[in-house]
Amino acid sequence: MNDVVAATPMSGTGLSDEAVIEQVTAIANGPLRAAVTRIDQHGHYPLEIMASLGHAGALGCHLSRNGGRVGLAIAAMQAASRVCGATGFLMWSHDVCGLYLEHSANPSLAGTMLDRHAGGLSFGGTALSNPMKALSGIETMLLRAEPVAGGYRVSGSLPWVSHIGPGQYCGAMARVHRTDGSVSHEILFILHCDERVVLRPCPQFSGMEGTSTWGIRLDDYFVSESDLVADPARPLIAHIRGVFILLQAGMGLGVVQGSIDAMREVEPALGHVNQYLQDRPDALQAELDELSGWVMKLAETPYDGSRDYLLDVLDARVQCSELSLRASQSSLLHQGARGYLAASAPQRRVREAHFVSIVTPAIKHLRWEMARLMNEPFPTELSPAGELSA
Amino acid sequence: MSEDVEAWRQYICRACGLIYDEAVGDPDSGLAPGTRFDDIPEDWECPLCGVRKSDFELHTRRVPVVAAAPAEVVSRTPGVVIVGAGLAGRAVAEALRSLDAAIPVTMVTACSGDVYSKPELSVALARGLSPEVLCRETGADMARRLRIRLLDSTFAVGVSRSQRLLRTTRGPLRYSHLVLAQGAKPALPPALPASLTWRVNDLQGWTGLYRRLQGGPRHVVIVGAGMVGCELAEDFVRAGHAVTLLDRLIGPLAGVLPAHASDRLRQRLMAIGVHCPGPASVSEVSRMPTGRLRIVTQCRQTIEADELVGATGLATCSRLARSAGLAFDRGIAVDRHTLRTSVAGIYALGDCISIDGAPCRFIEPIAAQAEIIARDLLGLPHRGYQHRAPVIRLKTRCMPLALHGIPHPDGAWRIIQDDDERLVMEQWQDGTLESRLAA
Repeated sequence: MNDVVAATPMSGTGLSDEAVIEQVTAIANGPLRAAVTRIDQHGHYPLEIMASLGHAGALGCHLSRNGGRVGLAIAAMQAASRVCGATGFLMWSHDVCGLYLEHSANPSLAGTMLDRHAGGLSFGGTALSNPMKALSGIETMLLRAEPVAGGYRVSGSLPWVSHIGPGQYCGAMARVHRTDGSVSHEILFILHCDERVVLRPCPQFSGMEGTSTWGIRLDDYFVSESDLVADPARPLIAHIRGVFILLQAGMGLGVVQGSIDAMREVEPALGHVNQYLQDRPDALQAELDELSGWVMKLAETPYDGSRDYLLDVLDARVQCSELSLRASQSSLLHQGARGYLAASAPQRRVREAHFVSIVTPAIKHLRWEMARLMNEPFPTELSPAGELSA
Repeated sequence: MSEDVEAWRQYICRACGLIYDEAVGDPDSGLAPGTRFDDIPEDWECPLCGVRKSDFELHTRRVPVVAAAPAEVVSRTPGVVIVGAGLAGRAVAEALRSLDAAIPVTMVTACSGDVYSKPELSVALARGLSPEVLCRETGADMARRLRIRLLDSTFAVGVSRSQRLLRTTRGPLRYSHLVLAQGAKPALPPALPASLTWRVNDLQGWTGLYRRLQGGPRHVVIVGAGMVGCELAEDFVRAGHAVTLLDRLIGPLAGVLPAHASDRLRQRLMAIGVHCPGPASVSEVSRMPTGRLRIVTQCRQTIEADELVGATGLATCSRLARSAGLAFDRGIAVDRHTLRTSVAGIYALGDCISIDGAPCRFIEPIAAQAEIIARDLLGLPHRGYQHRAPVIRLKTRCMPLALHGIPHPDGAWRIIQDDDERLVMEQWQDGTLESRLAA
């Protein structure tokens, strides 16, 4: 399961930006377009396509070892999402897992494991939806760790984790409790989905069924030191937070572009009546170009840790959601009855746009976080020195 | 009482916005309720800022045009969006409403929108005023009175100028016109962490500090001996607290006042009990296990204190301006006659603007600015805003001070009068009076 394509040497990483985009576009318009309904509706998990995207260099180009081309990673995700949002989401999950591995000081993760991951020779996602919300103060952290000899024992359940499966892995985070029950810090680790992990099928989603999303249950799962990405986790999380969120822009921008494509497709036949709709393709394209230009600008400094930069990233991410909602809705209206067919692309994109808007960080989480960042702290009662809010 | 008694009138202090109400009088200074303004002695002083009677003018409260509208106003058409619910934002809302009963107005504010007078904050403690007393009207009541939509606890994040959209933490808002009245924020040096340093620039910040100073005398260190720092120092001392006033310069307001005047102010502050140890920059602040603060200066002096207040000046946040592509020069650059920014449909006023590169953070010009913006955006005729440098007034009771004109930093000062009663100094340049201070 882990190895889908024959283990060819790492490929694609030395390719130019243009070559990467050209190959991704060819994959998107070829095998991905052919598989999109199966992926969205029938739960096909497109690892064969992910492998070819990895081979094309699209899953490792954002890593510092390959030039840190975050803008290219976003553009590649956009090109895939233009055809299939679920695949764009898998790319994002895969990309951020690569970030954990690369930014870990643990040599057992940043070596061969990262090589194979970045080349699309092995697959894994991220289980950080709950921890990211927990660090923002939105909910409590679900995984609990206890220090034991040689590592930690972790227990707890996560409701939905994507881009995993038996034999795969994901980045996960747990809160470490002292013997008296108080929390000392958090750890980030690689969770291997082996026989110790219970994978529970999720209820049917309204779309994007092929993202291999499972509920996870851990009972005293042992995390060895060799699987620790960061201990404590917060410095690493703070370092990659901006790029973690910014990369998701690729999904939203792709859904918008796909929606505009669908409007243009019917223009020859329906343009005479579609002219009465608002959010017309030219106007949306102008908005999209402006937004993607801004996203690309932000992608030039993905590790700028300033508050203002983070606000810009959160704001851009919100705009990707909002624009994808408007564009997909308008796309369906432009296509009329054909857009209302169950298997039509606009119908699917409405669900994809909803996904872009509810996946962590959802629109509401992003606004929460912006408000939190903009609310400057005052001295509080009994705040001991050095204590920081999450 | 005769039936044809003239209605009580109100007069507003042009410097600080305090309202003298004839019906209420000013019992603290011996003016019984019912004292007509005309009957007030000429040497009477504004109880808040100390200016003279001649600095007051008749105040006519703006009455909104009456229209049958529900209290909760939500319009489907884009109208005017105002960022900020301070004096400037509210002044624009009031001016708009008095000129046009129907135009939809949405006000976006990070705070609750409660109405209070900012100059009062620096003299409130010694007067025993509480946050409840300082709040004159809740944000919700203000919104009902003006029939505007108030989005409180909402942050403006960015502007999509091509779509005329203000992006906020409660979603995007369409606007026909955008008015930026976002104010300026305290600019703390890196050595003063926000989590340990109070800033008294709004009611929320003042209230937090107020609550901490309720339990008895405390030692408060104030960093920054500018206008706010000096006024707070006096206020806290008069309220019974020990105050250390630190500044990197040689004396209070040394960047603005001639050395002689600054020294006199320093002596007066010390005479009422403010500790002014001389030039000092803070290099480090930490909270000790006891909960008290440890403040270390660059010359390795250590001060222990209960509370730390940063009064190190203000700066306009450039985020919205940058996002909208507005010209920005130490503040949002506006046209000096129309208060228009460099982008069509967007205006700015109050503490956040700069005119010819100079910010102007005083109360006095705001009402006139608001009136011009309201008229300009409604397409009504107006004479244009006339910008004048306002008189700088220091409300310290130990040495009230007024500074007219803009002194040249290197210009020579002449002492006109200098005795226990009064200090008058003037700065002349090429035979013209540039600046005059009277204390």
